[in-house]
Amino acid sequence: MAGVGVSRAPSARQQMTAIAELRWRIFVNSLRTVRGRLELASRIFISLAFVGGGIGGAVGLGGAAWFLLSQGDAEWLSVLLWPVLLFWQLFPLMATAFTENVESSTLLRFPLSYRSYFLIRLAYGSLDPATTVASLWLLGIAVGIGFAQPKVFPWAALVLVTFALVNILLARMIFAWLERWLAERRTREIMGVLFFLFILSLQLIGPLIAAYEHKPKPETMVLGRELSTAQRPLPPGLAAGAIAAMAQGRPRSSLLSFVLLGLYGIAFFWLLNFRSRAEYYGENLTESDRRKTLPGEVSAVRPGWRVPGLSGPVTAVFEKELRYLSRSGPMLFTLIVPLFMLAVFRSSGKNEGLFSHAPELTFPLGAAYSLLLLTNLSYNNFGADGGGIQFLFASPVRFRQIMLGKNLAHSAIFALEVVVVWLGTCLLYRSPSVKVMLATLSGILFVVPIDLAAGNLFSIYSPSRIEAGVFGRQRASLTTVLASFAIRGVLFGAGAIMVWLSRHSNSWEEVLIFLLPVGFAFAAYALTLNHVDKIALDHRENLISQLGR
Amino acid sequence: MDSPAISTEHLTRRFGDLVAVEDVNLRVAPGQFFGFLGPNGAGKSTTIKMLTGLLAPTAGRIQILGLDLVTNMVEVKRQIGVVPEGMALFGRLTGSEYLNFVGRMYGLDRGTAAKRTSELLDYMQLTDQPKTLVTDYSHGMKKKLALAAAVIHGPRVLFLDEPFEGVDAIAAGTLKTMLQRMIARGATVFLTSHVLEIVERLCSHVGIIHRGRLVAQGSLQELRAGVEAQAAALPVAAMVNGSVAELGEKLTLEQIFLRTVGGSRSGGQELSWLG
Repeated sequence: MAGVGVSRAPSARQQMTAIAELRWRIFVNSLRTVRGRLELASRIFISLAFVGGGIGGAVGLGGAAWFLLSQGDAEWLSVLLWPVLLFWQLFPLMATAFTENVESSTLLRFPLSYRSYFLIRLAYGSLDPATTVASLWLLGIAVGIGFAQPKVFPWAALVLVTFALVNILLARMIFAWLERWLAERRTREIMGVLFFLFILSLQLIGPLIAAYEHKPKPETMVLGRELSTAQRPLPPGLAAGAIAAMAQGRPRSSLLSFVLLGLYGIAFFWLLNFRSRAEYYGENLTESDRRKTLPGEVSAVRPGWRVPGLSGPVTAVFEKELRYLSRSGPMLFTLIVPLFMLAVFRSSGKNEGLFSHAPELTFPLGAAYSLLLLTNLSYNNFGADGGGIQFLFASPVRFRQIMLGKNLAHSAIFALEVVVVWLGTCLLYRSPSVKVMLATLSGILFVVPIDLAAGNLFSIYSPSRIEAGVFGRQRASLTTVLASFAIRGVLFGAGAIMVWLSRHSNSWEEVLIFLLPVGFAFAAYALTLNHVDKIALDHRENLISQLGR
Repeated sequence: MDSPAISTEHLTRRFGDLVAVEDVNLRVAPGQFFGFLGPNGAGKSTTIKMLTGLLAPTAGRIQILGLDLVTNMVEVKRQIGVVPEGMALFGRLTGSEYLNFVGRMYGLDRGTAAKRTSELLDYMQLTDQPKTLVTDYSHGMKKKLALAAAVIHGPRVLFLDEPFEGVDAIAAGTLKTMLQRMIARGATVFLTSHVLEIVERLCSHVGIIHRGRLVAQGSLQELRAGVEAQAAALPVAAMVNGSVAELGEKLTLEQIFLRTVGGSRSGGQELSWLG
């Protein structure tokens, strides 16, 4: 076809550069608004905090690595590498507020080769705090090894870089597969069952620890050795083994461990590649029921919910919020995290940790953690509504009713979380005393209304569109996250005083005095709710433009 | 005499230095099918957003069914239906859940909302995928659902921003039939569209906005007469969109529109690389 000039096939480097420039332009343009500048300040603050944590950890781990190699105990390096791996993999899942999962599938309309797509997904997906912090830790370990045995340093550096790549691939693979499993109801239900089986299996840890607790030390040592042997074929064990063998002058053994570590990387790469390829070729995971409607099957429309005491519009919003949440696998996953954390703490040993020394604190701390996880919901009320925000403004319903419906839905979820945490506490630890329970409930009744009031304001002042169905994209703005942490710091401090006083009070009746601030909290909530109509109207343009784009 | 369904006085909206809508005085009588036209960026969507309470005017006054929009916002919203730009759907609900939700937000009781939901889904032919989420609907299905949501409470005035954009002929037919039925029952429809043939066929009255100012308003006959009167004053036949509109020949809406906004490409710049 003469005259039609189709451009040459772009190279992967060209496209990566174009995307980097795009991100840079987006960043620069975001600074035009006050919100964007605030977001930058929050990002700098959080980055400094993470870098501080990373450097502090690096110094500590570096010192430990130096000590182990100086003592000739290089194989114990795995004790340092396991926390690195666990942090790298678990932090992005536990703290989605700080995780940014790039929507790489939007790039698919461009002439992007699969290789470029995969690389972009891997590169930009890895730009998260967990990678930064854990990389600093690994750097610290490498430096510690270098100081103890300079000759081993080059090899140790190579092994640790490989270990880092394995972690990056594993983290991306976990995200990709979690998204896949959480996207559909059936697989999500299977995951739910597996999770509860896991929780139940943790029940076996208590008796196991108890069985070893009373045995003589040599037997405990045997268990330690068995655990040490069991972890050797896993990535941290292999990385530690590769470095230790080289330090001990066994290059063949070292090389074998290194190759096995590399094989893990290849396996994770393959699994990630498998998922990415499916996405690249147009896989569309949706919540929809894939079942075909049978001929003659009538779609019965069921009336909406009825909630006694609530008006129709408030009930409608309440129902809509809960339906939305029930269809957001990642959000549901986040909500089971408190129970997971309780189980993890329980499995870490009966006689260690705060919960072992003060098990009555499990319930209030679990409840506080549950509230933290609601940040993305309650501090960004309209985030999941997207373009639907226009309807909320066009409808003849006051914003105070809309907010009330949303707040009630979030409170209901939180109440359910608290019950689950209480059950988990009773199952995994022991049931909290009446005093602590009353103090915790008073604390909740004090904290939640103020928290919801603050959340309502932040939802209007700093809205952020979120994609509820995709992992890591349920983020409120960083400014909001930081502000919510500051507000909660104060509120939790007050709650902690309540719980602390309750532990030292003589009778549970004294604890009832804590109900006094609750009245103040509800008054503050009501006051905010009464002003929300005007505030929302004043900010409607920003809300519509931020959420509807 | 009935108060107008929609009226504005000196309606103005500025975004910083940009004047998006300037001194617009609209008047739409009850029962009119009103087409609001304008080139891209002329201020159509900004106007419709202000008329429906989605955007605050910088200056001016809006009355819907005789009620001041600012002082009676909730009451006005109860009387109107809106399909805004972007359709304002909630993607993670099914079609029936969404309509049920909208119905209840407009104050319908549970039973009525469910009944109308069922009827609307049936009318719009959206019943064969009851469990599909709105986010998975095709563009045409979304448009039909958005229109169903806008009429579930039986509004007296309906605002539609580009209702026929990206809609196939079958869906467009369904939408048109529904709108004509509403007009027949005394409702007022205010729509923006770039498809001038549809506007010409459906609308009894038209307003044309250009660079933020309302440059023409009236029935099609009135607009035609105005343009022809202007043309008659010209010494030669006027060039309209590359064709010659002879005096005495009935002008189409497209010709009226182009004459009013002065739209034509000089063709001076060529995109040689396109072949």
